[in-house]
Amino acid sequence: MAKSLHELLNELRERLLRAGVAPRHVRRYLNELSDHLADLKAEEEREGRSPADAESAALIRLGNIDDLAKAMTEQAEFQSWCARAPWAMFGLAPILSLAVAWCIALLILWSGWQIFLANTDTPFVPIDGFAIFYFGVGRLLYFIAPILVGWGIGLIAARQRLKAIWPSVGLVLIALIGGAARVQASRTAVSGGLGHIRMDFGLGASVQGTLFHALVIFSLAVLPYFIWRFQKARFFSA
Amino acid sequence: MAARETNPNFMNGVPELLILRLLQQEEMYGYEIVQAIRDRTDAVIAVGEGVVYPVLHGLERDGALKSRRKTINGRSRIYYSVTRAGSRRLSDLSEDWAHLTGAIQKMLTGGQHGQVIA
Repeated sequence: MAKSLHELLNELRERLLRAGVAPRHVRRYLNELSDHLADLKAEEEREGRSPADAESAALIRLGNIDDLAKAMTEQAEFQSWCARAPWAMFGLAPILSLAVAWCIALLILWSGWQIFLANTDTPFVPIDGFAIFYFGVGRLLYFIAPILVGWGIGLIAARQRLKAIWPSVGLVLIALIGGAARVQASRTAVSGGLGHIRMDFGLGASVQGTLFHALVIFSLAVLPYFIWRFQKARFFSA
Repeated sequence: MAARETNPNFMNGVPELLILRLLQQEEMYGYEIVQAIRDRTDAVIAVGEGVVYPVLHGLERDGALKSRRKTINGRSRIYYSVTRAGSRRLSDLSEDWAHLTGAIQKMLTGGQHGQVIA
């Protein structure tokens, strides 16, 4: 039995995404195919066919799904970066994103230290008033950054129907870095009293604590992706 | 000895050639292009109509075509037209095709064995 227009476009979308074609190219291709089908159907109807027959004839004229998919997948320039260089997308890019977010968070910490705590040797002291909000923004960014990066990885994996291996590598990497990171600050560490903030990575005093932190980050980062997978599986089984 | 170009697939580049030739005259959208190819080749060249889009997108990516969205009679369509680079590519492809067809024609009409073609 011939596929309906909706079925054809859905199947084609899944095939192209799984073959590594970039989502923007897939979207554009499907939009133009959909417009083309509407024109073909209108032409067939003008020649006296019923709407159902016209749609069947239009689908045949459009081409079979293997040819439509092959025409796109055999052109390497339509491949997404996730397919071309997964090591960069799930190895380098998350680390760079995390580094940028942490730089901003540490800048907030350092500037808050200069503004609100000019006489203290460390910014990690009890604070009040607007300082709570100011430091809170930096602290929130610092702790949530690995989770946000993980959500980004999950979003890309879901959009591009990727196999779990590379996204998992990225998530584990981010969780381990997030769990192992420590911030230290001291005004006396450098001369001039400007304040010195340093990040260290290690297991710290408690190996269990570090691993637990990493596990929490991993769980929170992977959660939206699992929910998406679960809902998609339920949708297809319904 | 200089390497010779080969023709692994005689249809290689033909869709590009036809599309560039059509769009050289006027801008068109996908459906129009396919109909025009069918009409002007007396339906001798007939492909699954949907496969024209990856060719169009590839040409656009290479800078041979440019596209713009136009709304006509309430329907939004993507119109394609040839760029200057596309005109040059059309000229190259036309030349290659002329050599190839010339060579085949010579073969069919009994060109001499070992004669250098093109």
